[in-house]
Amino acid sequence: MARDIAPAVAGAEQPPGRDARPARRRLRPAARGNRPPAGRGPRHHPGWTPWLYLAPALMVLAGLLVYPVYQLGLISFLRYTQAQVSGGRPTEFIGFDNYAALFRDDQFWQVLLSTVLFAAACVLSTLAVGCSLAVLLTKVRAVPRTMLLLAALGAWATPPVTGSTVWVFLFDSSFGPVNKVLTWLGLSGFEDYSWTYGKYSAFTLVLLEVVWCSFPFVMVTVYAGIRAVPPELLEAAALDGASTWRTWRSIMAPLLRPVLVIVTIQSIIWDFKVFGQIYVMTNGGGIAGQNLVLNVYAYQKAFASSEYGLGSAIGVVMLLILLAVTLVYLRLLRRQGEDL
Amino acid sequence: MSAPPVSPRPHTPSRFRLPRPRRPARPWRLAAEAAAVVIALVVAFPLYWMVLSAFKPEGEVQSAHPRPWTLHPQLDAFRRVFVQQDFGRYFVNSLVVAGAVVVLSALIAFLAATAVVRFRFRFRTTLLIMFLIAQMVPVEALAIPMFFLMRDLGTAVPGVGLNTLGSLILPHLAFSLPFAIWMLRGFVKAVPETLEEAAMIDGASRARFLWQVLFPLVLPGLVATSVFSFISAWNDFLFPKSFIISATENSTLPMALLVFFKPEQNDWGGIMAGSTVMTLPVLVFFVLVQRRLVSGLAGAVKG
Amino acid sequence: MKRSSLSLRLAAPAAALVLAGLTATACAPSTSSNTESTKDSKSGTIRVWLFREVNNAPKEKVVKEAVAEFTKKHSDTRVDVTYIPIETRAEKMKAAFNDPKSAPDVVEFGNTDTAGYVNDGGLADITAEFGKWEDAKSVTASVKESVSVAGKVYGVPWYVGVRALYYRTDIFKELGLKPPATQGELATAAHRIRAEHPDMFGISVGAKNVYGMLPFVWSAGGDLAEKRGDTYTAAIDSAASRKGLKTYTDLIAKDSCPPEQCAELGGDAGVQTFAGGKAGMAIGGDFSRQAMEDGAVKGKYAVVPLPGPQKGVISPAFAGGNNLGVMRGTTHRTLAVDFVELLGGGAYQSKMFDAMGNMPALTDVQEKVADKAPFTKPFVETLKSGTKFVPVTSAWSKIDSEAVIPTMMQEIVSGRKSVDAATADAAKKMDAAFSSAG
Repeated sequence: MARDIAPAVAGAEQPPGRDARPARRRLRPAARGNRPPAGRGPRHHPGWTPWLYLAPALMVLAGLLVYPVYQLGLISFLRYTQAQVSGGRPTEFIGFDNYAALFRDDQFWQVLLSTVLFAAACVLSTLAVGCSLAVLLTKVRAVPRTMLLLAALGAWATPPVTGSTVWVFLFDSSFGPVNKVLTWLGLSGFEDYSWTYGKYSAFTLVLLEVVWCSFPFVMVTVYAGIRAVPPELLEAAALDGASTWRTWRSIMAPLLRPVLVIVTIQSIIWDFKVFGQIYVMTNGGGIAGQNLVLNVYAYQKAFASSEYGLGSAIGVVMLLILLAVTLVYLRLLRRQGEDL
Repeated sequence: MSAPPVSPRPHTPSRFRLPRPRRPARPWRLAAEAAAVVIALVVAFPLYWMVLSAFKPEGEVQSAHPRPWTLHPQLDAFRRVFVQQDFGRYFVNSLVVAGAVVVLSALIAFLAATAVVRFRFRFRTTLLIMFLIAQMVPVEALAIPMFFLMRDLGTAVPGVGLNTLGSLILPHLAFSLPFAIWMLRGFVKAVPETLEEAAMIDGASRARFLWQVLFPLVLPGLVATSVFSFISAWNDFLFPKSFIISATENSTLPMALLVFFKPEQNDWGGIMAGSTVMTLPVLVFFVLVQRRLVSGLAGAVKG
Repeated sequence: MKRSSLSLRLAAPAAALVLAGLTATACAPSTSSNTESTKDSKSGTIRVWLFREVNNAPKEKVVKEAVAEFTKKHSDTRVDVTYIPIETRAEKMKAAFNDPKSAPDVVEFGNTDTAGYVNDGGLADITAEFGKWEDAKSVTASVKESVSVAGKVYGVPWYVGVRALYYRTDIFKELGLKPPATQGELATAAHRIRAEHPDMFGISVGAKNVYGMLPFVWSAGGDLAEKRGDTYTAAIDSAASRKGLKTYTDLIAKDSCPPEQCAELGGDAGVQTFAGGKAGMAIGGDFSRQAMEDGAVKGKYAVVPLPGPQKGVISPAFAGGNNLGVMRGTTHRTLAVDFVELLGGGAYQSKMFDAMGNMPALTDVQEKVADKAPFTKPFVETLKSGTKFVPVTSAWSKIDSEAVIPTMMQEIVSGRKSVDAATADAAKKMDAAFSSAG
């Protein structure tokens, strides 16, 4: 990675006139300088070869991803409940009725709000924990570093179902060690305290588990990013007498930006789609559905209530929100002049 | 992005020469190391508690005074898990599903990544964007149309319909492909093009180059990629929960684990033993490939 | 310039998708052809789904015996029994309806679900076989009604589920309490027990225990819904229903059964808590007996009918009961019916009573066991004083699987909504279900 980043930094030193170059040029920085475009192998008349290579992937994706997404959109416009599935009644095109019903439903807005806030809290906490631990990793010697890395790998490797289970057990009102320790510390309110009863305490519990199992990705990636910063740059900055803050702002931040964009976007995608944790830890959405998030809500609507049309509409709403996130991501990539 | 004010200078020995990574002064470093150790212990604690509870006798697991150790380790919980629940069978099923997904997605993604990196063709960028968008698709929302698709597919092609392991492999394959392709691009890119030219001059066919030169070189990247495919297939409980309707013999580990959750009283010892059995292979896999994983992530990040 | 080219690249496939979506409404997702299978294989595996009970081991033992007897008779068949959790049965059953090929052959189902399952086209019509079944003569008209829809029979009644009040004889003696004769006394006793034994629930009632709550509503003169003509209208928000509901939810409070623990309790969990010695009282069924016998309270409990608001009145119990049915898509119809008739027959109903406490649904077996066991007395008494049922419509399955009533109770006991607001919301959801079921 160090080798890859160096030319990008070198590029940044070029005269400002570079920005005036045609956009296509900026899209492909790799084509710049190193080798003449003509040397790019057998690429002039590739013919059908790339499509041949792509065929299996495209077939799988078309059949198992694009087609279901299309069906999802289609079902969201239909009256599609158990009676229609069983063939008892004909399916019926009802336009935006499912969406209208959804947007009229107070619970949907509540769930949407919880989803966004919960995902935001998860992303921010995960990034904060992951990044600070990545920095911490660079400041310590091998033994503590390996310990932390191994522990993080362990948390990362834990499947969500097991992770959730273990965390629920740790916080169990009567058998869990956490309440015992808190009580022992003098917080008597935690004796037999039920973490899943209150809306916020239940969300906090799930948040802790989500952060626990997703910070390692952020930590390891950011750590790899920091390690890849060419030491000569830091040395030179130190020689110039640059302050720590200035070094961070001028060297580290720009170099780490692509890494940070990736971990942020991936965290948003993952945390917005949290399913297993909520499902297992709050027993399918908590007391009176207080801990529902969109994903679980869609699942309950579709599979518990047989409102397949409504469930699909929720799915489409989720898809659109995530698509918006993707567009933001693409814009960020493009502003960096990233080659796709 | 502002240009860093770096000017090349002749290298002179300096009092301020900083080793990399920058080490802070001694007391601070000790504090940082102490913090790292404490954090490592906190992070590892849930896993420790899981394994511990699996070995504890029943009475100690459900005790009002939980202790962070046990003087009577035993295998009862594991016995319950394997005898009553036929965990062995589910373990094999999970392995088959995850293994098939890993192998298939690695092969298909390798071809696709080669195509988008080594060739320029129309719609290339569109395709790449589609691969990216595909990663955003929420799996759970697609469970509904997937269910009907698998059902209909089962009528046409026996062996992949609902109730079979095929109905678990196919969706996971679809969901892990986009990320795998996206991640593999960096590895394919890293193989010098001159190699291909040399091979061509030597008269190697494109297929031979692909499988005998490029594939072995990209293999480390494939391993890193497969971690993600493996984990997503191994961990999933949504598809087995919805697709394995009555064929309990085709169930997978996460489903078997949920059986220990009972409305009346959870068998925590059994749950923890099951969790341990389920986590172990992933952990082993992770530790084995951790180096490649880090470089793989860096590659994916660089894109 | 680049911006436009990128959005163009995105816009093209997006537009294509939308266009395809709008024009292709004709090719809607296929429906399952839930027609009766013409295939009737006389060998192979038949899959059976039974409910997982609080104390499942004795049930498994009896069922194993039945399977052994069955496979002895049909040597080239295998019977694969799966115990499914009652809480998530709706999901499992619907998945089975949606793909008849993957469905089991025989299922246990609650009588509240009969209408819904038949409406979804899941159960096979076994009227002909039922007519020829030797035990059919011992099925009373009202019990037969619970496995029938529009005159056709869709199952065999397996046992009758009636709930009554379990209480701890030792605790009551210690505190000088008498078995409660009114709901007021019940609450007082619960408070006393909780005050004297803070580690116990006064009564283990939960916000998910619908069938424990209903007697309170019924005895106050309320009901879930009223039938007007052919359709139901929710009545859970009537003054009488609210009064009864409040009597019940008031029990889920700090001084008897704290909501932190009891908001998530369902019927089974309530029974288990009592069986584990952590409650002074519980509303449990005849089918809960073995769980008590195997629990910490063996020999320390007794049962009385659930009292009404006034002395001398028994609260109307929910006329629960479980049946065995054959799935419509089965390819082993003859075998499946044979198995249902065996497991649902007199001999095994009697064995299930001995093992679990399940009150037999067949009258002749019922009489036989009533002589044997004093245990059945309070349940028979409750049965005789009159029972009630949930609305007989496919909408009930939907209301049940959407957890409308438990959600309502949880909202009340957690203090999120008043009784009035929660019942009004629940009534709205119920009415929507009634009207969509037609």
